[in-house]
Amino acid sequence: MDMVASLPAIKLDKLYNNVFICEAILRSLPPLAKKYVLQMLYINVPVPATMMEEWVLADGASKHRVAIDRLIQLRIFSEISDRKRGTSYSLNPTFQNNLQKHIISGGVLPREPMNSDNAIKLPSLQELETYALKQWECFLLQLINSGQGEKLTGISSSMMKIFQRGLLSQRDKDGPRLTESGFQFLLMDTNAQLWYIIREYISNAEERDVEPADLISFLLELSFHVTGEAYNSNTLTEVQNNTLKDLADLGLVKLQQGRKDSWFIPTKLATNLSVSLADSSARKEGFVVMETNFRMYAYSTSKLQCEILRLFARIEYQLPNLIACAITKESLYNAFDNGITSDQIITFLQQNSHPRCADRVPSIPENVTDQIRLWETDLKRIEMTQAHFYDEFPSKDVFEAACDFAREWGGLLWEDSKRMRLVVKSEVHNQMREFLHTQSK
Amino acid sequence: MPSVVSKQYSDDVSLLVLLLDTNPLFWSTTSITFSQFLSHVLAFLNAVLGLNQLNQVVVIATGYSSCDYIYDSSLTSNHGNLESNGTGMPALFGSLLKKLEEFVTKDEELSKEEVSEDRIPSCLLSGSLSMALCYIQRVFRSGHLHPQPRILCLQGSPDGPEQYVAVMNSIFSAQRLMVPIDSCYIGVQNSAFLQQASYITGGVHHTPKQLDGLFQYLTTIFATDLHSRGFVQLPKPIGVDFRASCFCHKKTIDMGYICSVCLSIFCEHHKKCSTCGSVFGQSKLDDASSVSDKKRKAPST
Repeated sequence: MDMVASLPAIKLDKLYNNVFICEAILRSLPPLAKKYVLQMLYINVPVPATMMEEWVLADGASKHRVAIDRLIQLRIFSEISDRKRGTSYSLNPTFQNNLQKHIISGGVLPREPMNSDNAIKLPSLQELETYALKQWECFLLQLINSGQGEKLTGISSSMMKIFQRGLLSQRDKDGPRLTESGFQFLLMDTNAQLWYIIREYISNAEERDVEPADLISFLLELSFHVTGEAYNSNTLTEVQNNTLKDLADLGLVKLQQGRKDSWFIPTKLATNLSVSLADSSARKEGFVVMETNFRMYAYSTSKLQCEILRLFARIEYQLPNLIACAITKESLYNAFDNGITSDQIITFLQQNSHPRCADRVPSIPENVTDQIRLWETDLKRIEMTQAHFYDEFPSKDVFEAACDFAREWGGLLWEDSKRMRLVVKSEVHNQMREFLHTQSK
Repeated sequence: MPSVVSKQYSDDVSLLVLLLDTNPLFWSTTSITFSQFLSHVLAFLNAVLGLNQLNQVVVIATGYSSCDYIYDSSLTSNHGNLESNGTGMPALFGSLLKKLEEFVTKDEELSKEEVSEDRIPSCLLSGSLSMALCYIQRVFRSGHLHPQPRILCLQGSPDGPEQYVAVMNSIFSAQRLMVPIDSCYIGVQNSAFLQQASYITGGVHHTPKQLDGLFQYLTTIFATDLHSRGFVQLPKPIGVDFRASCFCHKKTIDMGYICSVCLSIFCEHHKKCSTCGSVFGQSKLDDASSVSDKKRKAPST
């Protein structure tokens, strides 16, 4: 939603012309802000800020502030300052009107749903979900190992580059590597990953001559369609049609070609878009069993999971539904080398541990977590600090004064009073030089 | 109930069970018509559903002599679009209105059968409360993540003292389930049942003064999700009417006799408790009955 908030005012006002966007925005607000909007829905005069402060209890004041700030940021509230009555807030009239309309009469989607007597067989919800997940997994897989490029999805390579930016880093000659944020990305749940990709997609819209506001409005609208229903795509504009093709590659929609016109069927991924990030509706079951001897068994058929595990573990063998691997010092050093931290690995293991193990406390054996942390600290035994080295002081007094000065500034790292040498942090170097100048005069 | 809490959504997702008073005897006496009232309520429901995609609303109609589920958003939302016919009313609530109509006619027939002249024109609150709790219990047991439930009673009819025991039992089970019962009383008298229900379960009780602005009352007070309740100023109870009904004649009483074993309440002295069967000591009672066995239950208003 930060995306929406960052849009310029005119575009934002235009967005609010669409009832569904108003609705989606409302859903994305913090609870208290939702309540304010609802409360002020039928109040046409500005409400003084002091009065609104009375709505909350004393300990809710910070939440109140957050809510109001958010509403102003999204231009749902407009602030009116008056010398006599102080500040007061009123709802954005377009937003208010649309929401009133929505609440009283509901909304009708601008797409016509497919008639039930149509000959095309609709995929069942189950099929649709597997389709969506398969498509999404394919996409992720392609994302992380673009080097071994099997062309699985139809996403153009330039598009892929955009998504990969920030997640992968090109290092020397050994091909792209996952960065720290890339690993974090893989750890996120599907909904969060989806939002990340969508955000990248939208922020690149301008390069493709597409208005970001149009794109956002279309995506938000899409999330109000009913999962598993087919909608006619002849009412879509060309831009929307193109977007739809990209979304189909991501598994958000399934396209179906009829005799005369084509349909699109939103999947669960699409309809969950407007659900706030906090509650991911489908938490996946874990699949990893970690043993005290550093061996790890992952019950998974997915190639993607295998790739993720490969990031920090040595895959020993793979059975149709089981991946056996071991965490070794080498595999972990490899991971640390790529900027992955031990905490990330441990949280990943905890989040994905098999339901049987998840009941145990702790779900990951303690000796394993400890060892992972120890190996990481092994690498960090040496800490680098930029510093300057001084010697050949003219006298003991000058040396002593210099030491005191450096200590005062908190920059003294090392001193050798016998041979009159000292090392000072480079941040203090300038002050040190000035000080020595004055001393030598 | 830690296991229950851990399964809940972290945010403000709520399940609202609305008990709608459809007692015809009450609605013939009010300042606003039932259809006006209904339009306020439907807009409110729409607003609640709009607040979060995962919000759920269940409506239970409370009639004169029966009650029934008339709307469940989790069942209808999936094919709601197909029914949209552009009549201006949201498609979702088409089924609600249809079911409500059916319910009212059925309720009318039922109430004709039992002819009792002296019954107070109350609605079957105990029945609908139990239905609401059953529904919530089912949600709790469904195993998956579930929204935070709460009950909202929209009632106008006066209390029926004969339902006292049943209503109190429902209230206590709601308390055990940690389900707050909000109550919005739109009638003229005060409802002791609803006051007690909200007081015991930690819900909000409010009596709107102007019924024209019912929607505003509903959104301001009763749309607040449980998560926000911690820091929002809500109306506090002015006083709770704790009066009870006696078990023998179902009359609301200020003073009465209480069985020392099972705490049943009677308006006059009995030799034996009709609930638990314990025999009251007679010799003592004759002498000093007014002191030992009589307890005063005073309304704190």
